[in-house]
Amino acid sequence: MLTTIEKIVFIILALISAGFTVHGIKTIVDSVRKGRPAPDLKNIPASLLKAGMKVLFQQTIFKARKVLSAIHLGLFFGLITYAFVNLVDVLEGFIPGFELVYGGRNLAFPFLPAGIINAFNLTADLMSGALLIAITVFLVRRFIAEDKRLRFRENVLLNPKVKAGGQNTDSLIVGIFVILHVTARLFGQAFRLTDGADPFMPIASILNSLFGSSETGTHVAWWISLGWVLFILPYITRSKHTHFTVAPINLGLAKQNPRGQLDPAIPLKVLNGNHYEPGAKVLHDLPWKRVLDAYACVQCNRCQDVCPANFSGRPLSPAALEVNKRYLLKEATFGSHPERLLLPLTETVISPEAVWSCTTCYACVRVCPVGNEPMADIVDLRRRMIIDGAELDSGVQNALQSLATNGNWMSKGKRLRGRWAKEMEVPIKNATEEPVENLWFVGDTASFDERVIPNTKMVARVFQCAGLDFGILYQNESNAGNDVRRVGEEGLFEQLVEQNLQAFGKAQFKRIVTTDPHSFNTLKNEYPQFGGKFEVKHYTAVLVRLFEEGKLTIKHKLPHYKVTFHDPCYLGRYNGGFTAPRKLLEMLGVEFHEMPRNCENSFCCGAGGGQIWMGKVVPGERPAENRIREALTTLEKNPDEKKQLFIVTCPKDMIMYSDAVKTTGNEGKIEVCDLIQLVAEAVGVEESMVTEAVASGAVV
Amino acid sequence: MNIVVAIKHIPSIADDLPVKGNNIDFDSVDFVLNEFDEQSIEQAVLVKEAVGGTVTVVGVDLIGELDGVLHLALAKGADKAIKVTADEPGADSHMQAKWLAEAIKAMTPDLIFTGVQASNDLDGQIGPMIAAYLDMPYIGGVSSVEAADGTAIVTKEFAGGMAGKYSVRLPMVVGVQAASKPPRYAPISKVRQVAQTATIEKVDPVGEASAGLAMKKMAPPVMSGHAEMIEGSAKEVAAKIVELLKNRGLV
Amino acid sequence: MPNDIFVITEQIDGTFADISFEMVGKAKELAASWGGQTIAVVLGSGVSADAFASDSTLFINDPNLAQFNPEAYGKVIEALVQERSPRLVLFGWTATGMDLAAWLSARTGKPCVAYARDLCIENNALVVNSQVYGGKMIAEVAPEGDLAIVACVAGTFSTDAGRGSTPATSMPSPVALDELKVKFVEAIKPAGGDVDITAQEKLVSIGRGIGGKENIELAEELAEKLGAVVSASRPVVDAGWLPRTRQVGKSGLKVKPKLYLMLGISGAPEHLEGMKSAELIIAVNTDKKAPIFNVAHYGATADLFEVAEAMLELL
Repeated sequence: MLTTIEKIVFIILALISAGFTVHGIKTIVDSVRKGRPAPDLKNIPASLLKAGMKVLFQQTIFKARKVLSAIHLGLFFGLITYAFVNLVDVLEGFIPGFELVYGGRNLAFPFLPAGIINAFNLTADLMSGALLIAITVFLVRRFIAEDKRLRFRENVLLNPKVKAGGQNTDSLIVGIFVILHVTARLFGQAFRLTDGADPFMPIASILNSLFGSSETGTHVAWWISLGWVLFILPYITRSKHTHFTVAPINLGLAKQNPRGQLDPAIPLKVLNGNHYEPGAKVLHDLPWKRVLDAYACVQCNRCQDVCPANFSGRPLSPAALEVNKRYLLKEATFGSHPERLLLPLTETVISPEAVWSCTTCYACVRVCPVGNEPMADIVDLRRRMIIDGAELDSGVQNALQSLATNGNWMSKGKRLRGRWAKEMEVPIKNATEEPVENLWFVGDTASFDERVIPNTKMVARVFQCAGLDFGILYQNESNAGNDVRRVGEEGLFEQLVEQNLQAFGKAQFKRIVTTDPHSFNTLKNEYPQFGGKFEVKHYTAVLVRLFEEGKLTIKHKLPHYKVTFHDPCYLGRYNGGFTAPRKLLEMLGVEFHEMPRNCENSFCCGAGGGQIWMGKVVPGERPAENRIREALTTLEKNPDEKKQLFIVTCPKDMIMYSDAVKTTGNEGKIEVCDLIQLVAEAVGVEESMVTEAVASGAVV
Repeated sequence: MNIVVAIKHIPSIADDLPVKGNNIDFDSVDFVLNEFDEQSIEQAVLVKEAVGGTVTVVGVDLIGELDGVLHLALAKGADKAIKVTADEPGADSHMQAKWLAEAIKAMTPDLIFTGVQASNDLDGQIGPMIAAYLDMPYIGGVSSVEAADGTAIVTKEFAGGMAGKYSVRLPMVVGVQAASKPPRYAPISKVRQVAQTATIEKVDPVGEASAGLAMKKMAPPVMSGHAEMIEGSAKEVAAKIVELLKNRGLV
Repeated sequence: MPNDIFVITEQIDGTFADISFEMVGKAKELAASWGGQTIAVVLGSGVSADAFASDSTLFINDPNLAQFNPEAYGKVIEALVQERSPRLVLFGWTATGMDLAAWLSARTGKPCVAYARDLCIENNALVVNSQVYGGKMIAEVAPEGDLAIVACVAGTFSTDAGRGSTPATSMPSPVALDELKVKFVEAIKPAGGDVDITAQEKLVSIGRGIGGKENIELAEELAEKLGAVVSASRPVVDAGWLPRTRQVGKSGLKVKPKLYLMLGISGAPEHLEGMKSAELIIAVNTDKKAPIFNVAHYGATADLFEVAEAMLELL
């Protein structure tokens, strides 16, 4: 269809476009390679394939924003279709007589079956419509409806270009491209219809009936359509639309170790005899995979939506973190300001206060459709800030100092750890003095906090009731170190691991059982790397087994309770422990209602990542308060006279939510209970024990 | 500038203290660094960072567990660590001050920092005593130190928010109450690194001094009274307090 | 003289600290037992020293002693002690006494007892009770030898017995004070414009338990609602969260308000020194073993933030 001159011009332009595009890709690849070594990946081709399939079925975006994700299907399948469509367009331009209109009946060499040609045309035509609708919806959403979720709060550190609306410009350019490109092509198809409508090109036919056919029009439309492509291809390397290709790659190269296992502070692999300081200060201190994250980021802000710190008004936005990284890279590479990469990330990408606001709940990593890990960046930043002697929150400093000296963060003497156990009617074995089947790792909060101790004792009584052989370490137990590691104090974490491994060495046991999800997480996922490989179980799983084995029997079911369950981050989202608590609630016969944000989508209580040490009084609604309100709304949808309970299986949750019930003025409307309290009641462990729990205020 | 920090390893008061006979049972109590020594170490490092020089930390090792404390001081910025190996858990301040003074003498320091007091200073603090043994001036209760060319300007805190600035010809001994900045945090990995690479010099205790006090008794105070405790949840406590205040016309 | 008792007094611009009167009063008691004299020792420049009920008052009058100078004061006291060989030298356990007592002990080789709360004579020998280990222990000791140095915690004895009008004997310094290494430069008065907590009827006092500077706002809100002012214990001031003018305690200010509401203060002796005579002391602290509960009138082991917020709603 094209003239020779047109063909030559196109080839030249295509080469120029390709040159810029390749340069853009190379810039990205070079940038990513400058990052630090990342943990080894096995079987990369298989992972990439799996990731490709996930992307093909668009599974990852549907974790949130279902309606917008559905509309995105239009964009996704539309653009994939258009990859082929554009190829065909180029062929049609270059090969004379190669015209697929009207089922290809005008084809000079009719080797393609008409059926395929018609199918192709129909797909292309309808996809054009879908694309236009989808892109229009998204543009309206961003520019007319001004969806707040696409914005950042005032107190979040933003790259100046982002603050000035760079993301909107980017979206506009690509949006205009899609509209013009698709519209031009539709018109091009319309102008080619010389014999009236082609039933397999419905939209083009409509345009044809309105505007007729035109040889010139065909050429112009072709040039607009494909000229835009030549322009947009290099542009995309500088836009968030790199996610077209980088997203599946990023997903395929996702870390393969457990969620609850942090990347090492210093890469295990050392290249060129480099000396690595722990953690990260500048962008290329991050492992290469997390530099790639910046290029995969679609800047959708799903992570910001689920961040509990962001929710309560803190200056943290995981989305801003990745967006800022991307814009920083752009400035440093395409923008010719490489010196900006030498600036600390705490000046360019995320503020120090934001770094210390993170609760390490993993919600941002879990919801990200392209496999980004903003939380991991934050932990790396903390690691380096601690080593560099950054000023720490006094509560955190006190907690760390207490952990270093006393092995617990509450500044209590080591000897007091087992005091609660010594007060039990039936003595609890000391696992360092006699062998036990189950070593119960109790944790700081459950051992020392007066509000939680009644629950700890109840667990002991239920275990005793079931004839479970168990013991505790008494004063030989130290904090497991989960939150210490996530605050960035890697050295102290190692010290605590050593202390605990030493204590474990003194004991003989088959498995470790714990009531504390934070301890559960690190014992299970991180201790093996330090030489401590054990079978680790959360007590909910233990209870289920005890019921199944008949060692515990339900004397009276509890249908008079209407309950909802909060999945603790470190048991649920991190380690998939959703079934056991629900099985127990089912067995107990309570009236159970699921909150909207449940299982992997659970909403953090806000205590993790060192927040509970900071004692910072945050203005505005706290995550725990919001969660209590969610629970009440859920339960009150089914109004009846039953007692409403908020069930937890984590000592920190117990504290945070009991507090939130009071501060939201809901005392009397809902009670926070540990699952063990219900189990104890159903199994008939002495009533006097329950009254004791009530009296000490643990049950509000 | 040659700066020395003399520290004191003291019985921990985190738990109840065990008693044996007419004194503390020093064999079964935990020992910790005097909290004012944390301030003193920080102030010394701050002065070093301002004017250059070296910081040497020295302490009497009473129960053989001083290394951890010395490593911590090194991780916070001290350059050298010395321990006087005494193995005398019950050594009083006079004895420790004497041994420390003898160990410090040879170092010809410009500035000696100590914590202003310690909770076991029954027979007085080691700071003024070291000053007396070394014939140097002493100023305690100090909250800031600036040093240059043989002189130090120190700020001494008095009661009621008053303070006094003094100019002192070095060498001198300073009893630190609070460093001019809160003590920095020393990451454990740094402390462990130090523990592996640093060498702590050992010296024998030289000299003799005694508190000259005959111990008659050591016991927890007999409390004459106790507060009337308000029970209940925080809301109930708050309500009762407000009621109390209203009844007394205070609100 | 062999049974005399020296009381080293403290003054600023001619105003004597209460501790000086307390010690003179106590010294008279002890001296009577021993058959010795109570000698008040005043160091200063041109002040009126006729304020004590001592048997005699020595006023060392020298311009170098106008302001407290540990070197000058130490030298003078050492010379006096050598000259007159008292049996007992009493210092206040204060900013000034703490620079002198132990120093004198090391110089003379004579015993010193710090943190003293009570002294008595048993079989003609001195017995001292001191609160040590943060107030967790009371030590009972008998200093050996012919001279004892004791530093007394303020606020233990009554001041009345020490007040009087014994005419002071003015004299020059027994030692040369011209080659001093320590020079007083200037007094730093507390930053003006801040409230005087000693003049307040109601105080809301915060301790380490407040956790951080950001949380002080809550206490200030509560104080405002109560018509009170926020004061603090030493650690809060040392950390820079509040100015020193708000510090209650031994190294801070002494207050005697109608209401002293304490949030997160454990009640170490140094703090008690500053507030134990408050009319109504209410203490909130999560540690049920906090020493403050032995001194407060009312107490609660609750979370101070929860209590403060709840009180705010009720007021």
